[in-house]
Parts: sequence; C-alpha cells; structure tokens
Amino acid sequence: MSGGRFILEARGIAFDYHKPIVRDISFGLRPGTFTGIVGPNGCGKTTILRLLDGIVRPLAGEVFVDGERPLSGMRRKEIARHIAMVPQNGGLDPYQTVLQFAMQGRAPHLSLLGFETGKDEALTLEALEMTQMTRHLRARVTEISGGEKQRLLLARALAQRTPILLLDEVTANLDINYQVELMRLVQRITREQNLATLVVSHEINLLGAFCDRIILMTKGRVLYQGSVGEALTREHLQQIFGLDFSIRSLTGSRVEVLPVIEEETSYATS
Amino acid sequence: MNRLSGTRIAMVSLALLGVWVLAVILSLNIGSVPIPVRTSLGLVADRLSGVSSGDPLEAVLFSVRLPRVLLGSLVGAALAAAGTAFQSLLRNPLADPYVLGVSTGASLGTILYSIVAGWAGFAAMGGGLAFGRPLAAFLGAAFTVGAVYLTASGGRRTADNSQRLLLAGIVLASFLSSINVFLLTSINQADLRGIFYWLIGDLSRPVDASIYPVTALVFAGVCLLYLFSHSLNLIGMGEEDALILGVEVRRVKTAVYIIASLITGAVVSISGPIAYIGLICPHMGRMLFGGDNRILIPTVFIFGAIFTLLADTLARTMLSPAELPVGIVTALCGAPLFIYLLHRRGRDK
Repeated sequence: MSGGRFILEARGIAFDYHKPIVRDISFGLRPGTFTGIVGPNGCGKTTILRLLDGIVRPLAGEVFVDGERPLSGMRRKEIARHIAMVPQNGGLDPYQTVLQFAMQGRAPHLSLLGFETGKDEALTLEALEMTQMTRHLRARVTEISGGEKQRLLLARALAQRTPILLLDEVTANLDINYQVELMRLVQRITREQNLATLVVSHEINLLGAFCDRIILMTKGRVLYQGSVGEALTREHLQQIFGLDFSIRSLTGSRVEVLPVIEEETSYATS
Repeated sequence: MNRLSGTRIAMVSLALLGVWVLAVILSLNIGSVPIPVRTSLGLVADRLSGVSSGDPLEAVLFSVRLPRVLLGSLVGAALAAAGTAFQSLLRNPLADPYVLGVSTGASLGTILYSIVAGWAGFAAMGGGLAFGRPLAAFLGAAFTVGAVYLTASGGRRTADNSQRLLLAGIVLASFLSSINVFLLTSINQADLRGIFYWLIGDLSRPVDASIYPVTALVFAGVCLLYLFSHSLNLIGMGEEDALILGVEVRRVKTAVYIIASLITGAVVSISGPIAYIGLICPHMGRMLFGGDNRILIPTVFIFGAIFTLLADTLARTMLSPAELPVGIVTALCGAPLFIYLLHRRGRDK
C-alpha cells in the first residue's frame, strides 16, 4: 500500500485569502487508500479540499495530479474527470429526480450540447446501485431523507468515474447508524474501485475505524500523518484539542478515542 | 422520461411552434378591421405566388398587422429567453431583465442614443446606423448590470447574494426610469403619449431598419445561450457544485450575462421595457417542462413569443379603437404572479 506514486499530491500549498489560513501542507494520496483528515473547527480542513480540487488556487506550492501534472494548468472539465468531490452542502433542484441529479456527475464527460447518452445513464445507474439508491430513482430529490441525500451526493461523485474522491464532512447531520453505514460504504467502494479517497471529518472515531491513513491538522498545518495507530495517539490528540484522551486499541490498527472529561471541581473552588 | 433527448426537445418545440402559428393566425384576424381567417390565408397564398389581389385588406395585413405580430413574437421570445438565463444565473426565481433593471438601462441607452443621433420625434426615434440604437441599448443594459452588481456587492469581491442583487436591481431600475422620464419630457413635451407608452413597453410604433440587426442578434444570442444551457443547470445547483462538476463558472457567468443583456438591449431598443415577460414565461415553462435549461431555453423562447403576441393582441383590441401599450397587459398578469412567488419564497425559508 505504501509503494507506488501519488495520484494526487499537495506540495507545500498555502492559502490565506480568507480564514482559515493553511500553510505549507504536503501530502499525497494513493489508489486504494482511504485517508482521513482530522482537526478542530477552523483548522483549514475544508480549505484543503477546495485547494485539492482547484476551486481555489494556492498562494504558494502546487497540487499535482498523476505524478507531475500541475492542477493549475488544467481546465475545470479536465479536473472534474480526475477528481470528484462531495461538498458539504450540495445544492438540490426541487424539479429533479434522484436519477437526474446523479446524472449530473456525467457533466464533465458530455459533448458540446450537453446531452447524456445511454452509456452515461448506465454509468449513473451503476453509481446509484453502489450507493443503494436504485429504489429511489424516480423520487424527487426533495422527498428523500438526509442520509439518502448524502448517498445521492456520493452517487453523483461516483458517476463522474474519477480515480480520486474527496469527501467534505459527509457524515455531518446524520444519525450514528447512517454515519457508520456511509463510512462503510465509502471504505468498500474505495477498495472495489481502487480509488484514492480523502475524507474530512470531525468524527475521530469514525475515521479511526474506517481509514487507512490519518492526517492530523492544527492551526492550518499538518501535525502528523501516518497509519491510524501511529497518528491517533494521546500526545497528538492532546496537542490538537487540548484535552486528555484515553485510547483503546481495536482489531488491526484501529483505535477508539475517548476524551477524558474531568469533574468541574475547578469552578467551585475558584 | 428521465434522460433528456434531442428528439423530445424537438418534438415539444415543434408542438409549441404549431401553437405559435395558431396564435399568429388568430392575431392577424383580430383588430379594428377584422380580417377573416380565410381571407388572410388567401392573401398570404396570393403574396407567395406573386399575385396582388388589390384587396385593401392586403395593406392592413402585410404592412400593419403582420409586422406587428412578428415584432411582438420576437420581443417576447427574446425577453423570455433572457429571463430564463437570468433566473438560472442568479439562482433566483424572481430575476428577470425588467426586475434587474437591465431593461430600464437599455431604454436609457436608447434614449441617449436618440438624443445624440438627433431627436426627430418619437415615431422616427433613432439615427443613421441601423445597429446604432440596439448597440446603445446594449451598452445601457450592460452598464446597468455592472452597476447593479457593484451596488449589491457593497465593495466586496463578489455579489453572491441574489436577494441583494434583486434589491439593487429594483432600486436602480426606479432611479434610471426617473432619468428616462426626465430626459424624454425635457426634450419633447409634444409627444407625451408616445413617451408614456414606450416607457411601459409598446409595440405599436412602426419598425425601422434596426429590426434586421436586432433579429439577427436575438437568434444568434439564443443559440449561444443554448450552448451554455447545461452549464447553467449546474450553476443553478450552486457555484461550488458547478465548479466541482467541471464548469468554468466565472467564464460562463460573464458570457451569459453579456448575451442576456445583449438580447434584452436589442429588443428593448424597439419595444421599450416590457415588464414581466421574462418573469412569467420561464415559470410557465418550468411548470410544463421541468427545470432543465436544455429544454427550457428553446421552449420558453417560443412560449414568450406566444404569450407576448396574445398580450399585444389583447392590448390593441381591448379598448378598440384605442390601444393600450402591451406592457400594461403583461404587468397586469405579471405583478400578481410576482407577489405570489415572493410570498411562497418567503414561506419556504
């Protein structure tokens, strides 16, 4: 898993137009690997995703696709054939059905007039099947639940048929069972499709349970990157969140993380 | 019926074209001098075979009614298509060239051009070059779009908030229309009725040579808009989504803004700012054919022609022999719809 070249790589990228600021970020994604970025609110996680997808340009450094191709030299359409992203708040058109929405993922592959072919429809149906959304094909996008909406956004990204998949807080606003279900799904698809998947999330334990690699961020910088067991240590987490944690090892290199919450005695005495 | 095909669009468009032809026949028939359908069809057949029947109705049909019917169709189609584009672009169902102030800006351009080119009364408004007036209208429209954008953004880099854009548009539209009234009344107090009518939107004035570049502009513009229709769909989802899906958002937005302003300016230079066509027709289209711009742009284009044609027929016959400006009829239909949409939008939030 560790050998082979990066399919998407950030080299020393920095951005400080808006907050949060990110500085000197370097890491790479490999096919078949599920990577998670962990960090507190406002540490620049979403900014990194936007930099990786070329939505914003880095002020310094560069993102490379497929080894040596700089992202800044690629057109949007070309980027969208390499990188799919599930945004945090995807828009919905109330007139659309589930199938029509997911078919938008074919957009970067369409010809000038923008009509989908039978092949586009077949690939979209495949993506909807992977995400178990085929039951709802003809439902309006406004009629499905929050969990289904996240799976639909994932299906649209999968319909793009890209080797790289970026996910921004996909489990936000979902019940715990849907969170687990979605992460399991992403993990499985990453393996089956040999994708380079990067997910950004607040849910340390979800990432600890499903990811292969973890990137720890704090204040716009990478603190540590490595396997789950190496990254999610008491020292690292304390540095990031300023809390004490108890770490429990699970099967494989998986870990479970629990903050140690102290009694509020200090309030009474001071 | 999930995947949109060119065949379906062609079929729906052809059906709508059929309705348009029926509306044209109906409108040719109705007027201060009624021309029976059989007579008018006979006259058309004569004309096509190069025979002149000498019928006095021939002049009414070919010199008065037919040009007006075609002009109404052109103006309506153009404003409706521009409205569809603006609504997608701003992701706001209340956007249209009139509400955004684009139409009023185009009228200001027209009026200024006419003053510079030599004011020769309202009927002969215009000047030497056939494309001068539409060009001036476009510049007025483009200037207004820029001003609306700047006002709405309040000095920030972008004006993402479409509510602010609309508000800025409404404010600028009323400001510019005061300038229009001021300019027009100060240079020519004799033709107040003509001024009044044109400012509401009027199709009764005879057309001049500028109709040719205007027609060419409208058709070329709508074809170009069509090339952006799928990108507009995606921008309608949200700009970030569109970027993710491979749309050069900034470039598409700029292009569509310019094209929609150009189309609006072109027709407003002839008809004056007609309200609400660009608002109502896209909504009707969406209710009938769904929100996909690939089917919406061609169908709304034809639908706008039908709607405006019928509205103008109503305007010139309701108080016959007196005529109302067509803008009165479209506003009578449009304002209640606007209020309804505003109300519904407020409730959704």
